[in-house]
Amino acid sequence: MKRFDLIVIGTGLAGLTAARTAVETGAKVLIAGRGMGALTLFGNTIDLLGKIPPGTDIAEGIARWIAVHPEHPYARTGVEGIENALADFRGLFPPPYGFAPGGNGNSLLPTGAGTMRPTYLIPVTMAAGAAMTPSETLIVGLLGFKDFQVDTVSLHLKCRGVNLALPRYGLEGATALALARMMDEASFRERLGEAIRRQMGGERFIGLPAVLGLRNPAAVLKTLEKTTGARVFEIPLLPPSIPGTRIFHRFREELIAKGVTFLMGHSVSRANVKGGRCEGITVENPPLATEYCADRYILATGRFLGGGLWAEMERIVEPLFHLPVLQPGEREKWFGKRFFDPEAHPIHRAGIVTDADLRPVDETGRVVLENVRAAGSILAHHQAIEEKSREGIDIATGFLAAKRALAT
Amino acid sequence: MTKAEKKPVLLPKLPDVCVRCATCMAACPVSRVTPRFPGPKQAGPGAQRFRSASEASVDDWIELCTGCHLCDTVCPAGVPISEMNMMAKAKYLDERGRTFRDWLLVRSDLFGELAARFSKIVNPLMRNGILRRLLDKLLKIDRRRDLPGYEYPTFRRWFRTRSTAEDGTGRRKVAYFYGCFTNTNETDVGKAAVEILEAHGLTVIVPPQRCCGIPRLGVGDLQGAREMGRRNIELLLPTVREGIDIVFSSTSCGLMLRHEYSRILHLPGAEELAGRLFDICEFLLRLREEEKASPMFRPISLKAAYFAPCHLRSLNIGFPALELLRMIPGLDVRMLEADCCGLGGLYGFKTEKFSIAEEIGKDLAEAAARMKPDIILTDCEGCRMQVRHLTGLRVIHPLQLLRDALSQT
Repeated sequence: MKRFDLIVIGTGLAGLTAARTAVETGAKVLIAGRGMGALTLFGNTIDLLGKIPPGTDIAEGIARWIAVHPEHPYARTGVEGIENALADFRGLFPPPYGFAPGGNGNSLLPTGAGTMRPTYLIPVTMAAGAAMTPSETLIVGLLGFKDFQVDTVSLHLKCRGVNLALPRYGLEGATALALARMMDEASFRERLGEAIRRQMGGERFIGLPAVLGLRNPAAVLKTLEKTTGARVFEIPLLPPSIPGTRIFHRFREELIAKGVTFLMGHSVSRANVKGGRCEGITVENPPLATEYCADRYILATGRFLGGGLWAEMERIVEPLFHLPVLQPGEREKWFGKRFFDPEAHPIHRAGIVTDADLRPVDETGRVVLENVRAAGSILAHHQAIEEKSREGIDIATGFLAAKRALAT
Repeated sequence: MTKAEKKPVLLPKLPDVCVRCATCMAACPVSRVTPRFPGPKQAGPGAQRFRSASEASVDDWIELCTGCHLCDTVCPAGVPISEMNMMAKAKYLDERGRTFRDWLLVRSDLFGELAARFSKIVNPLMRNGILRRLLDKLLKIDRRRDLPGYEYPTFRRWFRTRSTAEDGTGRRKVAYFYGCFTNTNETDVGKAAVEILEAHGLTVIVPPQRCCGIPRLGVGDLQGAREMGRRNIELLLPTVREGIDIVFSSTSCGLMLRHEYSRILHLPGAEELAGRLFDICEFLLRLREEEKASPMFRPISLKAAYFAPCHLRSLNIGFPALELLRMIPGLDVRMLEADCCGLGGLYGFKTEKFSIAEEIGKDLAEAAARMKPDIILTDCEGCRMQVRHLTGLRVIHPLQLLRDALSQT
């Protein structure tokens, strides 16, 4: 049986980043995950730390954040570590589609809820959203597409909104993926652009749901901007996120091309732990269970949705390696009083505590498994949702975990 | 490891495990092309909450699920979506009854041998315009779809009557499950499999076997599929009990034998069989990695695209054929970036589903047009038929090219 240099558990952004970072150094890598990870659930843009106000230099903002939050995952990676990891991530996307910051700091982008949301790296298809002004913007919905309510969006953004009938057969119930696929077709998007142009009343910006193509979004953008004469931007939506799907597909394509063994669809059900080391993991595809072995392992299984953490009645556990989990105590202390409390629910701070090398440690700070590292949202001491730091943590810690793992 | 056993890993097969995250909606090839199918989230766990054994089915769109399993592979919660669809389809079709066409198509294993014997008559007939029009009108087998030609002698007959070059005593034995299509329609795949296994120092045996039954599963005929499964397990277990591994070259037969016999059909002996079953490329790769045998490949200068069948993805063994192909010097082989060819086995032959299969396949055809390969390689016979039809290119099993790389002088 082939022995791998590194096995990554988890196919979300952290796991994908770790696998790519490792394979770039020539390592033999296997990545295994139960499903597609959370890229289709978030993944519209790359958040770094939304708490930093737009206008503040991001590097300075993060340096200050680290000074106040010495246990945060960013304190492990450092500002430079984040910058290197993000540069690597951006290098994955060949032009014309790619990600760039809107300036030195965060930009505010319109969302499908009609709010303005801070984020850092923006896909080229959303860049114009950061520059839009309400009076000069037309929001375009697509009739029959339920995941984008143009009235809500335009009302809250104080823009004009229209709902367009699609230039093809009755698309009642069309999904985001079906629409994105149609956008990839040149004649479809040309007709859509034409239909938008006829609705325009001198607007300079057009906002559309984030379904502008799966395969070639930059070409979709170009066609629409050419036919309308306005700057066009995508507005992030409910899952499944098409921009997130693009990220996933790009990673998968790259990893398979580079020779990574890519396993997706079944749980890693068991870890074989001996003498403080992981000796192998088992992938469960009933009725078979197959063991894979490597010298090093990275755990990037996310929190509760990904299955990285599991809530028992009174206790939160990490089900694969049974790692110690930092947690708020008994169940009644897990949640705040109000669902939409601006402060994170205490349970959102739960996770795996690590040393500077991202190796999980116990309460006394002792390394639990010497060849296992943790990356991504499973780490403790962050509140990715409230901080708006999810993708940044995934990319920076996935990158660092792979670098450190292979340095040993 | 004691702690590991009591943790909650294998989730209950309840629809409530689904958190409605919609990731499957980014993977389903059918809802990608038609709003007539509500997609895996709705058709699987969504509708499951309203299904009851005592009430008649109302979900007529359930028939539009091709059973590709891609939804299962992306679900972050581990919901057995395609299994829910399969069960709902079985119930729906049990109530409504199956057409004569469906009855006929899933029994191609019964008349395959006969058709192969008379292939000189049968093949021109299947290309006959008048007959195809009749089949289209009467049976709703779409006449725009090429029917596969039959070959004689069949693989089985070829294997039985060939003269083996060397005496196999003392060599490790491996059994081959060839599948119906290799037997009567693409015998060269079987010949390539045998040649490659022998080149790796193995003696190939071909135990008695039947159709795996996956066509019956495709029309929700659980009872029929179970019957096929029971017979195969009975025929194959003696080989397993001799300690001989069994390899398959069709990923769909393989998925059926290795996983569906136990997961969906709960057949006794299925687990024992599964433990000895391997995808042939997975098996060869392991053999080479363990350095038990590694005959050299000679260079082949071609630009090749490899397409990964859905059922291979569901086997979840990575892409062993691609890894083997990469060992051929001079071969520029790259993954064809497309999910699902659209054929769905017999699905794409049916008039009412033909346009869906074509529309799904369009994405693959475009990916191939961008890549411009000389040849396309894929492990599944259904995919090969559809990819030929979509691209007009030479489409073969990876084994056939690997065999060429071994035997070329």
